[in-house]
Amino acid sequence: MVPALLTTRSPLLGRHATIGCSTGYMHDDRENWPRLIATAAAVSSLAVELSAVSEPELPGLLDYLQSAPQLPFRYVSVHAPSKARELDEKQLVATLERLPRWIDAIVVHPDTIGDPGLYRPLGRLLVLENMDSRKPGGRTADELDAFFAALPDAGLCFDIAHAKSVDQTMVEGEAILRRFADRLRHVHLSSLDEDCHHVSLSSQDEELFAPLLENCRDVPWILEAPPPQ
Amino acid sequence: MDSRGASAAVIEDPRGQCEQLAERTGIALPHITAAREHTRERVAELRDALDHETLAGGMSICVFGSWARDELTPHSDDDWAVLAAQPFAAEDQDVATAMDLAEEHLGAGDRAPGSQSVFGVPFDLPGLVDNVGLNADTNTNLTRRMLLLLESRELAGTVHDEAWRAVLERYLNYGVKDFRPPRFLLNDLTRYWRTICVDFEGKHSDTRGDDPKWVSRNAKLRTSRKLLFAGGLVPILLCHLHDRDAMPEFLATWLKAPPLDRLAAAFLWAEAESEGARALSAYDRWLAIQFNAAARTELKALRHDTRRESPLFEEIMEIGRQFERAVLALLFNTRLAALSQQYVVF
Repeated sequence: MVPALLTTRSPLLGRHATIGCSTGYMHDDRENWPRLIATAAAVSSLAVELSAVSEPELPGLLDYLQSAPQLPFRYVSVHAPSKARELDEKQLVATLERLPRWIDAIVVHPDTIGDPGLYRPLGRLLVLENMDSRKPGGRTADELDAFFAALPDAGLCFDIAHAKSVDQTMVEGEAILRRFADRLRHVHLSSLDEDCHHVSLSSQDEELFAPLLENCRDVPWILEAPPPQ
Repeated sequence: MDSRGASAAVIEDPRGQCEQLAERTGIALPHITAAREHTRERVAELRDALDHETLAGGMSICVFGSWARDELTPHSDDDWAVLAAQPFAAEDQDVATAMDLAEEHLGAGDRAPGSQSVFGVPFDLPGLVDNVGLNADTNTNLTRRMLLLLESRELAGTVHDEAWRAVLERYLNYGVKDFRPPRFLLNDLTRYWRTICVDFEGKHSDTRGDDPKWVSRNAKLRTSRKLLFAGGLVPILLCHLHDRDAMPEFLATWLKAPPLDRLAAAFLWAEAESEGARALSAYDRWLAIQFNAAARTELKALRHDTRRESPLFEEIMEIGRQFERAVLALLFNTRLAALSQQYVVF
């Protein structure tokens, strides 16, 4: 592993203190956790999101983390499975509870939650991500309200590209940040293509997102696609 | 959301800005509010009790730390001292009487001040202002001077205000320039913060982590000690906006406000309300732990080697990180960054 600090021409990204990337976009190395970690650290060694967005990736990630690897990151989140789900919710939460204590956050998609109460054992580790326009719920401040009411310790992972997909004027994104200001734990940062897939942050989106990101200067930013060059 | 384009004029008096920030961001701070109320009640109680006693002229009974931060809880230590305007002899009867009075009302049982005689003793003002820097400025002297300036309150007597101004004057009496943070004070504050951090290690060098106070001291370093430093640093940096004639009053107004109010005022001024909300929310959770007797007992039972098994300690680490990130964003990612970059490192 060769830890690095982010190299980017983007002044917005360049001046942010805690920035890193998600392993979710590193498709070629899927489930090869040492290689994923090394690739992420070579982008930025300050923060990382370990993506087990597909359930079969979770056992391998657990094994890897339980082997107590030496990691350079100051902030480590884990993205819980939202695809290829086999475990029932109780089993999933029990599995997530086995993650090491030093993990900073576990990101869960609210539209995959059936019974919010089952997630309470995750306490403050649990962070809920606002969803994109294709999803049936968890997209707006009003839709997130019910989840946070049931999970009072849960935090917010603000996916700014998802917020744009819901409302291109970013008013809804602003409403989410305003209503859940004290819950914000980290930001997912990217642009979306026409199919709502994460792609590198475009310069147009960087300009559009900048005012909202001005309210997120203290939390880690996780890039969900390669950093813009 | 932040009010873009708001006036950049600094808030002259930060008192009440914690509540103001909470109101503007819609956050609840129940434990900060409760601690403030509890502090008000205890201060009034003690002042009333001591008001009926006879204290000789030229001295004060003062309290420090949580008493002055407005963060008192039913389980807080009583860091108190008798402050004398002039040096005194060991057998001075007036000092002995003041000590008896203070001991009658403060520091009983678990609330006793620390065991290193920094507080719970009498000390005089000239020692604080005559010995700044060099060998005579011991850690004890530095601690007393800094806490007098940053976190102190008078319960009885008449000396505190005079002493407070004498200490400030010591830092501002020469070499201060218009529209420049006062370097002498900034350097001593920074030295004090670093001294606390280094002394934390020094206090445990022989116990190798088995000291029963390791965990509680570590927890304070992550929270209330950071607030102590940041709450002093911000108004010193903001002196950049004042000429030297205005600095004493500006600093007096700011430093006499509770440090959480100082930080809240800075977050508001810097248009960083959201970050400020998260700083205050984190600190509110720290005070929730301070109110919780069982949590305090649990902390006391933890040791260096067992702390990582404790969800409570994990929570304190997380609180510390959230608070620190927000304060760092204030210092380095807002309009304050221009001053932080210029003055905080060198």
